[in-house]
Amino acid sequence: MKKIILSAIVMSFVLVSCNQKNKQEETVNASTNTPETVKVNPNSFSIKEIVTDYLSLKNALTKDDSNATADAGKAMVTTLGKIDMKKLSGAQMKTYMDIADDLKEHAEHIGDNAGNIAHQREHFVLMSKDINDLVATFGTDQKLYQDFCPMADEGKGAIWISEVKDIKNPYYGSEMLTCGSVRKEF
Amino acid sequence: MQFYRPARNIRLEQDYTADFSKTYPVPKNVVSILRTSCYDCHSNNTNYPWYSNIQPVRFYMDSHINEGKEELNFNEFRTYSKRKQNSKLKAISKEIKGDDMPLASYTLIHKNAILSNNQKQEVINWINTLENNEYPNNKQILQN
Repeated sequence: MKKIILSAIVMSFVLVSCNQKNKQEETVNASTNTPETVKVNPNSFSIKEIVTDYLSLKNALTKDDSNATADAGKAMVTTLGKIDMKKLSGAQMKTYMDIADDLKEHAEHIGDNAGNIAHQREHFVLMSKDINDLVATFGTDQKLYQDFCPMADEGKGAIWISEVKDIKNPYYGSEMLTCGSVRKEF
Repeated sequence: MQFYRPARNIRLEQDYTADFSKTYPVPKNVVSILRTSCYDCHSNNTNYPWYSNIQPVRFYMDSHINEGKEELNFNEFRTYSKRKQNSKLKAISKEIKGDDMPLASYTLIHKNAILSNNQKQEVINWINTLENNEYPNNKQILQN
């Protein structure tokens, strides 16, 4: 009994100290990572959730999971509907809406096509371009990579955005998982 | 049921300034193909045949037209952002190539709307000439 209590105390101590460490790292990152393009109050407008949905979608495609891909598409549509644009300037809002309108359509199509992964991948080409432009305009506080697959989109080549440096191809999934290269880092 | 008559998709004042054909220098043969095979569902003017007066045919038709216009409206193409125009061009190409458009239920009745391989190729080839659909560099977009 004593051992359990002791180990519980040790565990909680470890967990608490780990959390403290993470918090310190986060504040350091936030101050060094502010991109010049962003003059936006980060507390009210953020593309973070959109990017998170995109990454789930991308990861589902790498696993050839059409249903999970569709779910992520639907989640993105919901997220896009909840974004607060009030703090953006006129020009920023125009840019954002231009991208978001297109992104929403692609997300809708992807959401409606569970079972048709080829069609989902077609829309993923332009969705990735939209996400790329969003990140380029509004910045990111997580490390992101722009990857390129030369054979995607009927040989025209296509990009995707990834949170990991390892190449996991969403256009070909298990068929050619490691095909592609990192082209840019955000 | 026959007494339910929703408004028709017809616009008498025909304002074509935002039409697809005014957005790019579209060759006449492509315009003709699009008008014959696509515009009934993808524009503000549908050519209603006599049997469109009968329900449930009318329900069926209207749902196609509403969905079609929401997805893509050639009459309002110029009002789309360049990004959206680019997405739509890509979609047109893919749908025609994959024989998903025009809808089989449409071409069943409208035999003249069936796209031959030649016609499909004409449209797809022309879309490909638009600078690989790179919308910021799309040099062929007509000036406002």
